[in-house]
Amino acid sequence: MSTYDVIVVGAGAGGGVAAGVLAEAGKTVLLIERGRELAFDDVPRDHLRNHRYSRYGHNTGPSLEGNPRVVVDRDGHEHTLRPHEDAYQNNATGVGGGARVYGAQAWRYLPTDFEMASTYGVPAGSSLADWPIGYADVAPYYERAEWEIGVSGDSVGSAERWPRDRDYPMPPVQLNRQGALMRRGADALGWPTLAVPLLINSTPYGGRPACIHCQHCIGFACPVDAKNDSQNTLLARGRATGRVEVVTEAMVEQVDTVGGRVVGVTYFDRDDERQTARAEVVVLAAGAIETARLMLNSRSPEHPQGLGNAHDQVGRNLQGHYYPGAVGLMSEPVHDGIGPGVTTAITQFNHGNADLIGGGMIADEFVVLPIIFWARNLPPDLPRWGAEAKRFMRDNYTRVARVMGPVQEIPSPNARVTLDPKVRDRWGIPVVRLSGATHPETVRTAAFMYARAGEWLAASGAQRIWGSPPRLKLSGGQHQAGTARMGDDPASSVTDRWSRVHGHDNLYVADGSVHVTNGGFNPVLTIMALAFRAAEHIVREW
Amino acid sequence: MLTEPQRATLRALIDRLIPADDYPGGWDAGVGDYLERQFAGDLSDVLDLYRSGLDALEVEARAKAGISFSELAPAAQDELLRRVELGEMATDWPVDPAAFFRAAAEHAAEGFYGDPGNGGNRDEVSWRMIGFEVTG
Repeated sequence: MSTYDVIVVGAGAGGGVAAGVLAEAGKTVLLIERGRELAFDDVPRDHLRNHRYSRYGHNTGPSLEGNPRVVVDRDGHEHTLRPHEDAYQNNATGVGGGARVYGAQAWRYLPTDFEMASTYGVPAGSSLADWPIGYADVAPYYERAEWEIGVSGDSVGSAERWPRDRDYPMPPVQLNRQGALMRRGADALGWPTLAVPLLINSTPYGGRPACIHCQHCIGFACPVDAKNDSQNTLLARGRATGRVEVVTEAMVEQVDTVGGRVVGVTYFDRDDERQTARAEVVVLAAGAIETARLMLNSRSPEHPQGLGNAHDQVGRNLQGHYYPGAVGLMSEPVHDGIGPGVTTAITQFNHGNADLIGGGMIADEFVVLPIIFWARNLPPDLPRWGAEAKRFMRDNYTRVARVMGPVQEIPSPNARVTLDPKVRDRWGIPVVRLSGATHPETVRTAAFMYARAGEWLAASGAQRIWGSPPRLKLSGGQHQAGTARMGDDPASSVTDRWSRVHGHDNLYVADGSVHVTNGGFNPVLTIMALAFRAAEHIVREW
Repeated sequence: MLTEPQRATLRALIDRLIPADDYPGGWDAGVGDYLERQFAGDLSDVLDLYRSGLDALEVEARAKAGISFSELAPAAQDELLRRVELGEMATDWPVDPAAFFRAAAEHAAEGFYGDPGNGGNRDEVSWRMIGFEVTG
């Protein structure tokens, strides 16, 4: 049995940051990751198997076999799903986690995003709540993430929307034709635009080169390592100290306790041998779904409902983002091949929309793979075969613009992760059972943003616009959050304001699980910022 | 995996799903190669659907026109395929014709517009056609 100062479960955006900060503070760290180390060549540019289009699989872990989840649909029917199937709510596993293949949008949440309940009131049936901390508490850690991991952005435009003490370290990533056209459309509407902040080098930074504007950014690994995440920054720094031991292809079975106190973890190593490790502190960073599962699976006489779950809160309030959007056929080409492709955002609809709770950001979209264009971007009345379909692809692949964005979800306590009573994974561990849906208020907000998407495309010169109106659903996926929410009251939250599990002075959470609400923005910068903050707190409390 | 007659029918079907113009049709662009690989992999469980569907398409053509599907004129092939798509068959099909058609249309697009690493889209021909260029 090995002993460390800290065990971190999960090497994604949050876990990598926590491991790095703790190691640099002199702590010995065991970082356990169920996926593999993923070099560039280990993440194939397979257009049918990636995290944008998982038709037959994907290009990272988890493997398709041995990792089922059970999903209960809106009609009450159970489905046992594999990781690449719809509704599994998958995120990539591997060192780096989902961020190894992400689009790298680097948004701060707005001050109001931390105060949703007091700003809007709580709709019936919702668990909408304020965070126990505010924007000012997180802002210094947003700044650390922006500088220590590396963000390119428009400092002046950002400062008009967010209080910020320091500029971005790099200017925005290069504009492309789609972005220029959409900016003209926004100007015509009087909508202020903002260059999308990205965890991508627009100039050489952190010892790595600038983005080369390829077409395989989101869903894939960067060919020149210009995409920044925790594995090539904080975790690399932590490993350089010699104090981080990374164990990959290892599955944590439970957090171990003695007399109710957390003492370490039990896990299966890559040879499926059961191992135990001991530590002063355990940090859970497996993602909002798997972290909740691990807490629920960590049962003992003192914690018969699982760790941190005395009030039946673990796994509730699962959130991700609804992603309303639309596509428009433009009168001129908009695809010029300059990736990553997302360039231009509108943030004025995140709050202040009459008769709605919250809102969302909306932006132009990443370069789209041709097969995804065929599967998702063709007009609904176009035949899917024959000369006409081929002609449309040929004439219009470069002329279709896309805008979409994340809507702040209104949480429901019934959107939840529980344990399935029957199905086990390949290690014999009870698997996740997903059920419920977000609060229906989310659909109203998403419908409003769907209309804004169309309005923006029309003002930008679209001859024809189409898309799919939002419908009530459970979300999670790559933006999963909320299942171990922060709060001052243990009866209605799982973690305290320092991301520490109520009732345990040595068990922390460093992923999206702690988000009370998930903002109307991509969540990764907040996950990173809160991981910095939690790790710093661990060191301070040592 | 397929008999010679089935393969001939499949080739004719693919070339109507993605017909040749001044760019190659589906078969010459490698959709057949894509399918052959996938029938041994991810699509092994739909191989029987293809076998039955292709046989039924051939029976349907002979019943309606007296000749093989692959020998029909393109316009007649399209007309027959529109009925398959809608499930309006003159003969008894052992499989759902619309489901067979939807699968074939989707798989043809995957072979044509997917990456060449999957066995189709020979020399990135569809990407050149639509203006998707890979740099870096």
